[in-house]
Amino acid sequence: MSSQPAKGAQKEFRKRDLFYLVPLWVLSLIAPDPYLYHKKEFKRKDLYYLGAIGLAPLTWSDPHFHHVMVLAGIYAILALGLSLFMGYAGQISLGHAAFFGIGAYTTAILTTRHGFSPFVALWASVLSASAVAYLIGRPILKLKGYFLALATLGFGEIFLVMVRESTDLTGGVIGIFGIPWFSVAGFSFDTYLKQYYLIWGVVAGLFIFSKNLVRSKLGRALLAVAASEDAASSVGINVPRIKLEIFVLGAAFAGLAGSLFACIMSTANPETFGLGVTVPIVMMVILGGMGTIYGPVAGAILLTWLMDILSRYQEYSLPIYSIILILLLIFFPDGIGTRLNVRILYLIGYWAKKRKRDEGKL
Amino acid sequence: MGAIYALVALGFVTISRASQIINFAQGEFVMLGGVATFFLLNGVRLPYPLAALIAVMIVVLVGFAMYLSVLYPLRKASILILIMATLGISIFLSSTSGLIFGTLPKALPPFTDEQPLMFWGISMLPQSVWVLVSTLVLLTFLYLLSHRTLLGKAMEASSTDPLGADLLGISRSLMVFLAFGVSAGVGAFAGILITPIFFTSYNSGTLLGLKGFIAAVLGGWGKNSGAILGGFVLGIVESLSLAFIPSGYKDAVAFVILLLILYFRPKGILGSPFIDSRRW
Repeated sequence: MSSQPAKGAQKEFRKRDLFYLVPLWVLSLIAPDPYLYHKKEFKRKDLYYLGAIGLAPLTWSDPHFHHVMVLAGIYAILALGLSLFMGYAGQISLGHAAFFGIGAYTTAILTTRHGFSPFVALWASVLSASAVAYLIGRPILKLKGYFLALATLGFGEIFLVMVRESTDLTGGVIGIFGIPWFSVAGFSFDTYLKQYYLIWGVVAGLFIFSKNLVRSKLGRALLAVAASEDAASSVGINVPRIKLEIFVLGAAFAGLAGSLFACIMSTANPETFGLGVTVPIVMMVILGGMGTIYGPVAGAILLTWLMDILSRYQEYSLPIYSIILILLLIFFPDGIGTRLNVRILYLIGYWAKKRKRDEGKL
Repeated sequence: MGAIYALVALGFVTISRASQIINFAQGEFVMLGGVATFFLLNGVRLPYPLAALIAVMIVVLVGFAMYLSVLYPLRKASILILIMATLGISIFLSSTSGLIFGTLPKALPPFTDEQPLMFWGISMLPQSVWVLVSTLVLLTFLYLLSHRTLLGKAMEASSTDPLGADLLGISRSLMVFLAFGVSAGVGAFAGILITPIFFTSYNSGTLLGLKGFIAAVLGGWGKNSGAILGGFVLGIVESLSLAFIPSGYKDAVAFVILLLILYFRPKGILGSPFIDSRRW
């Protein structure tokens, strides 16, 4: 049914329409559009984001701001990797914090015990996290739904117990201290500002990588796997291999994030790699909207700031935090950005209908 | 210990029989049961049975409230959202109980005296006997509930065939609501039983819940008998493992078992009505 717009609907400009059109226009400048982002590879919006990220630390020269944004960047790397696995391939992983931890501990052990430079240790972390993901992924990825979630959660718990107990290697509960700052070719990232640019540079690189990836053959195959594994395999997609590849890739991202985290915090202890990390990063992916690339980065910034603000309330922070998470899940189960767009479409429809109604009355 | 795992597993199974939800906050019910009894016993100075009864009722109310406030609005959401929501509830319950009741580990006095009993040359603590007997009683109760009453059958119907249940006039949300109450009650009971033996603190629920879930998967997902068997097997294997590996690794044993069982026999020991081979 093709509904031609009635002639009466072609109305002249009315000033009161600005009431909702102007905010919409402003929002369209800043909000990523999940339905249209594939049209052009890089839009002007991306430049805006890049400019905002690049200029923000110069405008706010508060070291605390830099530090929180560095953490947000690390979470953004984690969430990006997880988003490829959860948002695009439609799987569930609650064990990503373990790869984060593997990356951090590889860096910690290599730099403090064996005197490698952090740059070498970074690549070693990525490799070790991917290797572990490959080994663990082969059996685990046969599972689906709740059982995949549980198996990955179990893997995370095993990792934690191993770290806590193998005191000789990892320092047990106390962890490893004195990891040197990250440095490349004699240039040391020793202030929060330098770290900020390091981390967000990495985020931007990985962002472009992921964006190209989801537009590649592999990315399309991932979407097919998420929609239906049977259908995907019937058109010749090697489903287990695709899932394994993306799992390993996500783990490599996490290993990278872990290595950077260890260099920036200069410590690695088991408390930071448990469910306390898993829940936020999964939430970042959900809140950003499953199956988007912008989403996890935005979610990471949002949630890191939320956690930072809440940490002022001491022991009340966890209850408030969990209530906010649950409320966000109830009201924005498809992610804040996605639901916002739906809301806006609804609003436009509502106003259009109202206009029609008003005209009908006239 | 096995009996406790079995009881936690029963809680999982009860909910999953009525809906497809897996409640990651199940362990928090156990924790709440123990901690609330401790509070009523020492803070309000109620007699032991009354304190236990009221604690169970409180936890059942918490279960009802949890379903109404979080899971009912999310009844059409995807698995991932449900997992995250129940994890969020679990964080909320544990941190709130840490705030209200304090973060120190709690220990209840045993139900009866501490003189070990002798059975055919095996000495047992009276509390262990209590745990075993109560588990058996609860098991019988749940068996009768789910297999011999219309309510239990309606619960099962609403999980196995939601559309069919709707057509027969079964209110699915009511069934899930009741299942949450029952499972919260079972969890709280487990908490009261365990607190005299092990310390219960505000953060011990998560691990207990996960192990209960592992027990349920191990025995056969969705079966009461499987949950019981899985719980005891898990408890025994964990205790035996202490002989071979350092005690710190004890918690990892359950998860290794989980990975093995999921890989080699996802149906569990007794097989599962919900998992057919094709879906795996």
